[in-house]
This record gives sequence, structure tokens and C-alpha cells, in this order.
Amino acid sequence: MGVSGALSLLWARLCLLWGLRGSRHPVQQRWGIPWSVLRNYSSASAKEKARRNAICERTELLEVLKARVKQLQASNVPEMTVNKVDLAPLGNDKYQDLLEKVVAPGPAEEQPTPRGRGESPARPGNWVEKLKKEMYIRQLKVERKLSIAASRLALEGQAKAKPKRKDKAKAKAKAEKRLKRPKAKVAAAESQSHAGSRNVYARSKPMVVAVKEAAKAQRPQRVLKNKDSSQHKVLQQTIQSNLECFLFLQQPEEAERFLLLYHRSPVKRRLLNTNAYNIVMRIWARKGCLQRINRLFSMMESVGLQPSLDSYAAVLECMGRNQSCTKAIQRCMQQLKNDGFHVDELFQKCLFEEDEKEKVLRAIRIVQPNYQLPPPPSPQTCKSSLLRDFYSKEKMVSYPKLDFSVQELQERFQQQLEMELNNTITIESVESTKPLTPQAIKARKLLATLRSRWHDSILQALQKSKHSMSKLKTVSGYNILYPYLCLLPDEEYVGIMLQILNTLSPQGESLAVLARELGSKVYNRYITQRKLRSRQLEKVQEVYEDYIHLLAKDSQPDEYLPREYWEKLVAEAGFGPSLNLKDCSWPYMLIMRLGMHMLELLVHAVKVPRNALSPHLEHKLIPVLYHVYSFRSSWQIGLIKPHPIFSQIVSDAAETLLTFNSSAMPMLCPPVPWTSPHFGAFVLNDTKLMRFVDGAIQHQLLLEQCPPVNLHPVLDALNQLGNCAWKINQPVLDIIISIFNDKGNEKLDIPPPISEAPRPPATPSNSSTMNKSQKHELLLYKKKTAEMHSLRMDALYKLSIANYVRDKVFWFPHNMDFRGRTYPCPPYFNHLGNDVTRAILLFAEGKPLGPKGLDWLKIHLINLTGLKKRNALQERLEYANEIIEEILDSADHPLTGRKWWMNTDEPWQALACCMEIAKASRSPDPAAYISHFPVHQDGSCNGLQHYAALGRDLIGAISVNLMPCDVPQDVYSAVAQQVEEFRKKDAEQGVKIAQVLQGFISRKVVKQTVMTVVYGVTRYGGRLQMEKRLKEIDEFPEEYLWEASHYLVKQVFNGIKEMFSATRDIQNWLTESAKLIAQSGQTVEWVTPLGLPIVQPYYRSKSTVLNCSMQNLSVKSSNSNQKPDTVKQKNAFPPNFIHSLDSTHMMLTALHCLRQGMTFVSVHDCYWTHALTVDIMNQICRQQFVALHSEKILQDLSNFLLEKYCRSGRETRAPWQKKLMEQLSNVPKTGKFNLKKVMDSTYFFS
Amino acid sequence: MAWRRGGWSCRAAVAAGSRRCRAGTIEKTAGRETSDDRAEDPGLRVPEAAEAERLVQQAQQLQRIRAPLRRFIACPQLARTVQRCLQGGASPGPRPVLLECAPGPGILTRTLLNAGVRVVALESSSAFLPNLQSLENSLDGQLKVIYGDFFRLDPLVTGTVKPPAVCSDKLFETMGVAAVPWRADVPLKIFGILPQKKERNTLWRLLFALYECSSIYRYGRVELNIFISEKEYKVLTAKPGEVRAYQALTILWQVGCEIQLLHMEPWSSFVTNLKNGGRAVPKSTWLPNDHLCLVRLTPQQNLFTGGLNPTNSSTFIFMVKQCLARPKSRLTDRLNSWSLDNGGKLLRELEIPDNAETRNLYPEDYRRLFEALQNSNMFAETWFHDEVLDSIRNINL
Repeated sequence: MGVSGALSLLWARLCLLWGLRGSRHPVQQRWGIPWSVLRNYSSASAKEKARRNAICERTELLEVLKARVKQLQASNVPEMTVNKVDLAPLGNDKYQDLLEKVVAPGPAEEQPTPRGRGESPARPGNWVEKLKKEMYIRQLKVERKLSIAASRLALEGQAKAKPKRKDKAKAKAKAEKRLKRPKAKVAAAESQSHAGSRNVYARSKPMVVAVKEAAKAQRPQRVLKNKDSSQHKVLQQTIQSNLECFLFLQQPEEAERFLLLYHRSPVKRRLLNTNAYNIVMRIWARKGCLQRINRLFSMMESVGLQPSLDSYAAVLECMGRNQSCTKAIQRCMQQLKNDGFHVDELFQKCLFEEDEKEKVLRAIRIVQPNYQLPPPPSPQTCKSSLLRDFYSKEKMVSYPKLDFSVQELQERFQQQLEMELNNTITIESVESTKPLTPQAIKARKLLATLRSRWHDSILQALQKSKHSMSKLKTVSGYNILYPYLCLLPDEEYVGIMLQILNTLSPQGESLAVLARELGSKVYNRYITQRKLRSRQLEKVQEVYEDYIHLLAKDSQPDEYLPREYWEKLVAEAGFGPSLNLKDCSWPYMLIMRLGMHMLELLVHAVKVPRNALSPHLEHKLIPVLYHVYSFRSSWQIGLIKPHPIFSQIVSDAAETLLTFNSSAMPMLCPPVPWTSPHFGAFVLNDTKLMRFVDGAIQHQLLLEQCPPVNLHPVLDALNQLGNCAWKINQPVLDIIISIFNDKGNEKLDIPPPISEAPRPPATPSNSSTMNKSQKHELLLYKKKTAEMHSLRMDALYKLSIANYVRDKVFWFPHNMDFRGRTYPCPPYFNHLGNDVTRAILLFAEGKPLGPKGLDWLKIHLINLTGLKKRNALQERLEYANEIIEEILDSADHPLTGRKWWMNTDEPWQALACCMEIAKASRSPDPAAYISHFPVHQDGSCNGLQHYAALGRDLIGAISVNLMPCDVPQDVYSAVAQQVEEFRKKDAEQGVKIAQVLQGFISRKVVKQTVMTVVYGVTRYGGRLQMEKRLKEIDEFPEEYLWEASHYLVKQVFNGIKEMFSATRDIQNWLTESAKLIAQSGQTVEWVTPLGLPIVQPYYRSKSTVLNCSMQNLSVKSSNSNQKPDTVKQKNAFPPNFIHSLDSTHMMLTALHCLRQGMTFVSVHDCYWTHALTVDIMNQICRQQFVALHSEKILQDLSNFLLEKYCRSGRETRAPWQKKLMEQLSNVPKTGKFNLKKVMDSTYFFS
Repeated sequence: MAWRRGGWSCRAAVAAGSRRCRAGTIEKTAGRETSDDRAEDPGLRVPEAAEAERLVQQAQQLQRIRAPLRRFIACPQLARTVQRCLQGGASPGPRPVLLECAPGPGILTRTLLNAGVRVVALESSSAFLPNLQSLENSLDGQLKVIYGDFFRLDPLVTGTVKPPAVCSDKLFETMGVAAVPWRADVPLKIFGILPQKKERNTLWRLLFALYECSSIYRYGRVELNIFISEKEYKVLTAKPGEVRAYQALTILWQVGCEIQLLHMEPWSSFVTNLKNGGRAVPKSTWLPNDHLCLVRLTPQQNLFTGGLNPTNSSTFIFMVKQCLARPKSRLTDRLNSWSLDNGGKLLRELEIPDNAETRNLYPEDYRRLFEALQNSNMFAETWFHDEVLDSIRNINL
């Protein structure tokens, strides 16, 4: 009721403005009003009316314009002079005047009624006024013939035709805004409800709600307006981040000069929003310059922007700092109320930094000495039916404790903090144990001298470029990079550049990658600095110290989840939302530009003597980095490569120090729990809850708009995964390192060093005289060594990090991708890695094996070997007992014995398991043996499992083990069999390729393709997979590769179609729905059963060209202003949807395991726990699968999509809409499979 | 477009030609009519345009899968123009065989045969083969028909070559054309219309073959007579400094070949194999593109004198491509960005100004630059060599 009342007010004003009659009022009483308002406006009669009105409107406009001209001319003068003349400190009277100006709208304001604030573009009064102003400006310009700006406007000629078109565009933009609104509004109304009684001011309730709603909706609006130009948005973001820089640098004059640059130009002014002014106000507030803030207020007023809560926070902060007089503060607070805000909101919504909050509070207490901070909002509980038990307070158990005391955890936190404060960490590589050759010593010495020289020359180049930039300051403000080069001490920039130089591979790297890396390194350090400066770190530290008590063994048990506990502590400390940093991300283009600038400096500054390695050459400095283009069909890619001399020196020096970003290391203390999309994981390093591709911000927006309580399950699951403590399996690590430092072993997946590469082919002395085959051979050699290098480096990183933490306990903070699949944040070394990395990880926590634990270890071992896949668990166990001698031999003499472990699918994990079995079985009481070993349970073709369960597809369910069977079913073998049948038939009919393939079709050949079919692999991709598999078979004739793979992929697809009929229906339904949605110009969105909102971030990419002096970079940007990429939206929907389900299943399992006090981690569809708890985990996993699929998933999806995409008014509906509705309502029929059977299926996960 | 509606025979078309032809070609047509008439005396019937178009449509329907876009000469009059162009400017002595690529309905083939030319027809679509083969059988060796696709010559993938892809050695063996030294006369003329989608790609591949003396150029200076889009023609013949048109392709073709424009014909004159009979005229933003241009590309006799030879020519190509990757960059900057150390001195010796932009250098300048660099042993630098290898791999894929 309240909201619709507010809307009716708006509507009334609309009617006034448009001269529409009141006859439309019945319409506006309905809930869907915003939409129908606009529909009516664009309907025939309204158009007609508009045409009739157009003439009188125009004359009206002209008159207003004339008035405005005078007014503006008058007001413009003082503004100009104000700028030139340094203002003498103003007396109280004067600034009161200014404030009054803010309070009382000028006489020209046409609205006698109170206005909704913060909604400027949507407010009719405001945009009409703005329009007038623009008209005025245009006219002025025509008169003055300002040619410079004219070219930009380029619309002058049409100035007269313009108003109408503009109106329409605005109306349209508004329509889009409106469409988005209702959801946010409901949320707003809800969040208001508990504080409802605070409405003591003489205000009608509807209005207040409307105001709130406007303030709430402000953010999405800012993003959504100007849909027509993404450039606009980027520019706006750039302005803001620039101003933030000045804030950081405490340069109010610079900031204001920058702001004025835009404010004064009528064209550029449109890029400014309230936020931009707010930032400048904050800088002045910190300096205590109230009159400056007042001036900014009036500047905002003059361009029709409304002050926001942050604006008032700045004023009050300043007043608090100055100890201003009561009267002024009172007036300010009155104005705040007049604008529809409440004082409490300042402390609930504003993200205060440094001492801002104290100052604001001080100001308020001058007026209201007894003012108390508003109580923190009471915590909300997730109401998802899947988690009713989990969140119910009655069944609450205490959170599992770690084996550490508070003291120990605090020390670890300090270590972690120190590491993150340093930004990077340098560690010894595992190669450091090798003896040093004289050549290496010499090369290291040379490198050291060169480095110090490079350091100096880079520093010099940087300072020179900064100097020349600072000179440019006065010219049109295009030295956009300058502030960004001042954020950190010069030395830091030099350090970052040198670091890049050190990690450059001999093959070089593309310009774009390097630029991004440089840019984001600067950004990350800046963020760290900001967190320090804004005292955010202090607060985190304080809360963390208390938070530890939840996890430490020597403190009281607390019946909280980490997130809940953290939130409680934050509330108790009274920090409010200020633990979050104000959003200050840099636009992608800016990061690239900054990176390119630094790269250019690097390329120009770093030189090496040409005769560094061969002294007989004359001494001459040549650049270390050279820039070439590589051509890929129609593309050309710029590459930066190090000169071979440099690569040679580096390789000779064989340096054993590795430098990593601190975020690449596992954490040394339990991660900060996720409490919001912005906050969690590392202490300082900026981590996003959802990973995203560069420039894509849609998920982030969606998460922000989502009511926080909906995210609780996901956050809690991530916290659970991140809280698992790990340690290193030292004996295995030592064996791996010994092989690594020896000659590597390709069979065991330990990449050999480059020195082990095959000899390069003999080449003639003059390389240009080589013949074709020699060239080819050389090429292959180069390719091979390049591959070896990157494999070797990857392994080196992983092993070195593992070695560094070998005596420590560590944690992997987790985040997720846009479908909710979870990943550990540290990129190199984590449990998602290959066999080698998984083998060296153990749970830090040990648990006794229990009665069945040893058996599980043995079964796990057999699973790792890849043998006995078709056999029952009992048979696997018996087999393990049969070969126990081999197992023990492997454990005791891994490298000298019979080496049974080496011939398994996952040799290193098998070896680790052998050792564990040996230790356990030799202990006096195996059941009491404390094991740290993770035992895995794997979903068998998890994607198909979800499909089969969705469709209740009986045959499918059997083949992917949803049905209890005595022996595991193997879908891959089944498909292979089916394909073989097809092949036989074809061979008999004389199809050549079918005959050639005789004896080559196996489970292994088809496995990857079957696995990925559910994830939407195309024929093209499938063929490449097949080709790879066939290539691995030595006997397969090479000349048939193409044809055979082509044939096979076709048959595999046919085979799957034959076996999974409901799956295919569902897949088709999803695909077709996504296609229609995308064709209607929207992106596909859905919500997982756990409440996580998902949007597919695929847009038709648009590339923007970045002009840099070294090379033009074409930067692809995808953002919401672009149309969706229909093909991607369509093809990716089925796999993404299935992934969102499997991630939901995993999270449900994780949460329920937590309630049982078990350790649980996952590698997507592979769940890990202690041997003791495997049985419980298996049970929970099945329960949750049944629970998940007992929800009406497809029906819910259909309802959601219908609600989202087909909810327009019931009048005219476009044909595409009808089609979409029909498609979405037509949920595929399901089969007869009884889901409950899963509970008894042994091989569902095994 | 009149000829599409018309039902007149080939002879009638010639007679009416002076009136209907485009202004540019009137004179030529009139001037040579008598000699041609003589050649046509034995007279194979040349199908008229409408019939040819129908043939193309029929062939299209025979195909199981949708064939890629192809263009055909259907108008007898256009065929005669092309035939005259092909025969014009020939040196005295024995006339080389003419390889006609993708003749389709065979309008030009018949015209050429009528003019007494020995023709090898290389047809990639089995739908057109029977017609051509029966024509072959009715003649006494003047025509040879081969199943194959000129634009899939010497495929780069490993494995067996599956028709219609062909190997050049097989093709030349079948045609009975033997290799001759580079400086000798043209051993073979080739006529074809470059497939629109693969146009640029084909031009690059031919260029590589030319500089490496591989594929068709293994047999000597094979003369190409090809219809290319006006846009690409503008690129091939661009002058230094022409924005957008002057590219690496320009320089390399101009160094490699003598480029002659024989004829320009509007896109609309060609029949396509599209179902709706549309003309599928490609759009072009920057360069004019109203015609297909018949261009003769005759490899330069002196291409491999001086510093350039088939083994080091890839370095030359690499160098030019690198320079023109950013046409506005200065040549000295380019040389410096490769870490070559005495670029400035070299340019002075070549009398190339220090501030010259890469797009302002003549093709000959690039050749001189290459030779100078070759002599100064700059390319011996290992990295440069590696890059060249890389670039070959990327282009040849």
C-alpha cells in the first residue's frame, strides 16, 4: 500500500507534466504501475496527445529557457570568481547563508511538494529542468560558435528536434529502471519493517517509504542509466577512482580542480554524480574546511543533483572536527531529515573510514548529547527448506575446535598479517639444495650488477615520466595516469616492474597480459595501503582476535557458525558496516592503461651490454626486451620477449629464490569468514566472493542486490571448506623432490628439467640456409622445450610452496565461480591440483581409523589404482588384502623395491596411501591409529547423475549408479559398448573408417567425451578429444586420425541419445529456453535451491582500442550494456545449470557434515573426509542428493523464469513473448525412477 | 543486367555487344572481333546466361551439403572478354596450357576452346563434372578435366590428401607440365575466381608459395590470372602512404610479381550458387568494392637475384609483416624494438630518413633494407631466427 501510494504521487506529477488527464488513475492503483505508466505513455493516444502538446511544450520551454539564461548567467559569475579568488575564511553568517540555500529551494524551483531524494534522473521535475538547462547551453553554444565542443555534440543542427527524442529516450531508460525496481523495493520495505516506528516526523508514511526505496535503488540505477553508452559508465568509474586517488593522497585542491574540470563543461558534467561530489567533500571534511563543502553542496544543487547520506556524513564529520556551533549542526540535521534520511542511517549505512565515525558522532552529540548509536540489526536466519535443520537453534551444536590454543592461533594470525603486509613473499625453491657451479656464481654476480643498474634506470625513467606528466596538469586534465603513479612510493613501482622482468619466460608474453599484471599489482598494493590508512585493518584485527575463540581448543564452546560469530563480534564492537571498504575498484581500462605505461617504461629503460656473454663483441647497450608481433589468422598479437642474452644469464644463474604474491600462498591462520560478498578470505588481499572475468561485474551487482540472508548458506559452506586445516605429507614430498631435483620422470608426472630435453637437431652454421625439414625439426624442438619449461616451472612453484609450509599447518580460503562451484584461492598449490599435489596433502587434524577405517583406506587405494573399477567394494577390499605384500613393499621401498605403485592411475596418491596402510596395519591397534589421510568418494559421472535424477530417467539412473546394484555400473563402458555395436554394423556394410577402427574403441577413448557431453561439449570439441585419445594409441594409423575421430564423436553422441532419453529432453528444454531468453535481449538468470543468484555473463564482446605509444591494444570488454551472446547463453545454460546443482549438492553435504563435526572438503564432485567418517559422509551425501532432487527443481526454475521474463502487463504480448512463455511453461516430463533408491546405492559416490 | 533477361544466342550477343557492353570495353571488343570470329568457326555451342544459371542451380541441388559460396561466369559475353584478356599480351612462341579453376557450367571453358586454347579444367564439385567430362570426350585432347580444388592445393594437414584437395606434383604430372628454371618463360597460365571467404588467406598462401618456390611455383613462374575483389586489388596495387590500403600484402606482392589489371567487371555480372540466386556482394567500409578485378600476377624474373632467395625469403616476409603491423610507427622504432643495435646507421646508409614511417617506404626500399640487414649479419641473431620460424608456423597453419 505504502509503495503504491508513493507511486501514485509520482504518477500525479507525471500527469501534471505531461498534461495527461486523470482518467488514467485507475491504472495506477495496480501494483504493476511503473510498467503500465510507460506503456500508456507510448500507446497511440498518448502519442497523439504528446504531439498536440509538443508545440505548447516547446513554447513553454522557450520561456523557461529565457528565464534560466538570466538566472544562470547571474549565478555563473560568482562561481567563476569564487574559483579564481582564494576565499577568505567566511564568517558564520555567510556559510549559514549557503546552507540556507541548500535548505530552501530557489524561487525557480517549480515543485512545492516535498521531493524524493537521490532519484534525480527518474524524477520528472528534475529531468525537465535538466533538459531546459541543456537546451540553454546548446543555444548559448550555437550563439558563441564554440567549435571545439561543437564537434563533440554534433547535434547542434538538430537542437530543435532534440527535446522530444530525448524525452522518449529518458522515458525508455526509466522504463528499464522501473522494471528492475519492484524487487529491490520489496527488500527495502522488508528491511524497514523492524525499524518502522521511527517515523516521528510530520511526514506521510508513503513518502518516507518512497524515499527509502529511492535511496536503496540508487545503486542499480546508477549502473542502469545511460544504457546506450558503456563508455559513459567507464568514464564515470574512472572519474570516481581518480577522485579516490586524490582522497588517498589527501590532495583536496587537486581533487577539486579535477572535479571542476568536469563540472564546468556542460558536456562532461553529465559524467558527474553525487558520489563524485561526495568524495571531494570527504577530502575537505578531513581537512575541516566547511565552506568548501558548502560550496560543493551548492555546486551539486546547481546541476540538479541531490545530496545523499554520504554527503551529510561529510558535512557532519567536518562539523565534528571543527566543533561547529550547535545551530549549524542543527540546521544540517534538519536538512538531512527534510531530505528523507534519518540520523541512525548514517551509522547503519555509511562506510566510515579512519576517524570519520567518531567525528560524526561528536557533531551529533553536540546537538543531542544523549544520542545513542542505533542497535545493530538482529541477525536473520535462512529459511530454505533444505536447511531448516541446519539452522534450527534447538539442534545447534558447538563448532568443531581446532587443535590450537588461542595464543597459537593469534601468533599464526600475526605471521599471516605480516606476510600480507609485505605483499610479496620470497621463498627458497626446492632446487636450492643443488650445488652451485662456478658458472652460476659468475652469472649471479653479473645479474646482481645488472639488476642494480636496471633499478636505477627504471627509477630514473619513472621519475622523468612523472615529472613530465605533472607539467601537463593544466591541459584539459588528460594526464589521467598521474595520480595513479603517485599512490605508492616510487620504489614500489620499480619493485613491481623488476618483479615482472624476473618472471618473464624466454618465450615472452603478450603485452596485454603483462600490462594487466603490472596494473593489478599496483592496484592490489594500493588497496592494502587503503585498508591500513582507513583503519579497516585495525578493526579486522580486533575482531579476529575475538573470533579465534570460536575455533581454539582452550576456549568456551560457542554455538555459532563462523559467520554468525564474526557478525556478532562486529555488532558488539559497534563497527557497523565500516569493516567493508568503500567500493574503489579501478575500471579495467584504467588498469590496462597504467600497466601499459609501466611496460613502456620498462621496455625503454632496461638495457644490457651486447657483449655481456661474448666479450669479443664491441660494448654497446641494447634493450633487454623487444617487441614483436605474432600473427594468428587475422589477428596480430603484440609480444614482449626478453633478449636471448638475458634469458641465458638468468638460466645460467639458476637462481633459487622465488617471489610470490602473498595471496598465492596458503594462509597460515584460519581464513577470515565470509560475511558478505565483499568481505572474507584473506586478511588484506582483496578477494572476490565470485571469480569473474575481467570487466564483468554483473554477478557482483546481483550479489549486492540479493538480500544478505539468502547468501548465508553459501557463505557458511565456503567458510566450512576454508576452515579445513592442512599439513604436508613429508615423506612423500621428499621423494617427489628428490626425483624432481634428479632428472624428473615424465611417467610419474614429475616434469624433467630443460637439461633433459632431447638434443637440438644439428643446424647449419648460417641458420638462414636451412631447408624445410630442418626448419620443421628445429621448430618441434623449440616447441618441446617451451612446453617443458612451463611444466617444469609449474611443478617448481607447487613443490617450493609445499616445501615452504612443510612444517606448518595451513588453510586454503575458498571462493566460487559464477555457478557456485568452489575453488581454493591460492592458485598454484592446492588440493584441486594434480596427482602430485594431492599426494602431499594431509588433514592437519587426525582421527582414529575406527573399526572400518583401515578397510576404507584399502578400498581407497584400489580406487586410486584404477583397477577393479567394475568390482564390488568387497572384492576391491579382498584384492587389496591379496596384494598386501606389494603394498607394503611399495611403502617401505618406494624407489628401490618392486615399484608396484608406479603402475597405477594415480601413482603418487597411491604411494601415499600405501604408506598410510603400512603404518596403520603395523600399529598395535589399527582401529585406534590416528590417521590424517583424506579418503575420497567420487561421484560416478556426476553431471549425468544430476540429469538422470532431474528427469527420473530409469535407464540413465541405473547406468550412473543412482539405483542400488551389486557391482558398480560404468556409463563409459556402456557407451563404448554401444559405439562398438554401431561400428560393427558399419564395418559390415563396408564403411572404411569403421573397419579401420576395429579394436580401438575402448572405455578410455570415449570417457572424456561422455563426461563432457553433459557439460555441453560440441562435436568440434568432442572430435579434438577423440583425436587426442587416438593419438595416444601408438598403433593407430596417423593418416586416419581426422576421419576416425570425426566418426567416433558422431557415434558417441548417438550412443548417449539412445541411453538417456529424459536427459536429452531436459537438455533441449534448457537450451531452447535460454535461446529464447537471449534472443529477447536478456541474459539468463536463475537462483539455486540454496538461494544463490546466478547470471550468465556472456555478452557480445565489444573491443575498445587503447591507444598507447608502443602499441594499440584492443581490449575486449563485456558489460551489461551489451547484448547477450545468444550462442553462448544458449549452449552454456545446460552445463551451467547442472554445475549450479552439483555445487548446491556439495554445499548441502558440506553443511550437514559440519553439523556432524566431520572434516569435509571437495574437489567439485569428489568429496574428501577422514577414513573414520567415510560412512557418515556417504550417508549425508545421499540424503542431501535425495533432498535436493525432491525439490521441484525444474518446476521452480520454470516459475522463476516465467516470473522474470514474462511478467509484463497482460495487454498486448509480442509473439516472441508468447513463444517464450509457452516454452518456459512446458517443463519436460519426468520418468519413473524412484529417487529414494539413491539412499541404498553403494556406488552412487564411491 | 539486360543479358539475364535476354534469350539471344552467343552470336547475337556479340553482335549486340557494342551496344550493351560497358563503356570501358567497347573498343577492345570491336577491335578484335574479326580474329575471334575465325577462331570460333568450329563452334562449340556456348550456353546462354540463363541456361548457365540454371545449370548452376541444378548442380547446387545435387549437392548433399550446402556448398560454399562460389561465383561463376555465366554470360557468354563476359566469357569472351575474359578469353581475350587471357590471350592478350602473350609472348610469341608456343602458348602455355591454361589451367581453369572451378569452371562450373563451362561457359568460359567453351569460349576458350572455341578460341583454340588448350585448357585443363580443375573442377571441385562433382555435380559439374559429368558435363565437363562429356565435353572432354567430344574433343580431341584440347580439354582435360581433373577433379580437384585449386584452393585446397597442397593441404597443410598431415595424412592422406582426400579429393577434392590435390597435391601440386600430382596435378602437374597429370597436366603434363614440367618444371622450368625460374628465369625461363611462363610454363603455365592459371585462371580462377578467388573464393570470397578465403580471398585474403589464399593470397597469403600463394605469396608464401611464391617466395619459397614451393607448390605451383616449383614449376617456374606460373602466371596467375585471377578475379579478386576490387578491395583486395586496391590493396595489392596501393602506393606508399595510402592509409589502410598499403599493407604488408601490398609490399610483398609488389616485390614478388608484376601486377596487371586486365579487366573490371561489376559483381552483378557473376552468377552465384546461392539458392535464391542472390549476388552476395561483400560490403566494404574503407575501400571501393564495386567490381571484381581480373588481375594478372606474373612473378618477377629477378625476384631471386640479389640477397633474396627461397631459403631466406621467410625472413623478408617476417620483417615486412612486423614493420607493417603498425603502419604509423617509425621504422627506427621498429628496428630498435627488435633490439637490433645499429638500426640508425643502417637507415642512413640506405638514405632512409630517420623519421620515416613504415607505411611510407616503397616496396623496393624494403627489399634494399632486407638486403642490407642480411649483409650486416643482423638476422644471424638467434632470436630473430626463432621469430621467423614462429611466424611461418602461425601463417602456414
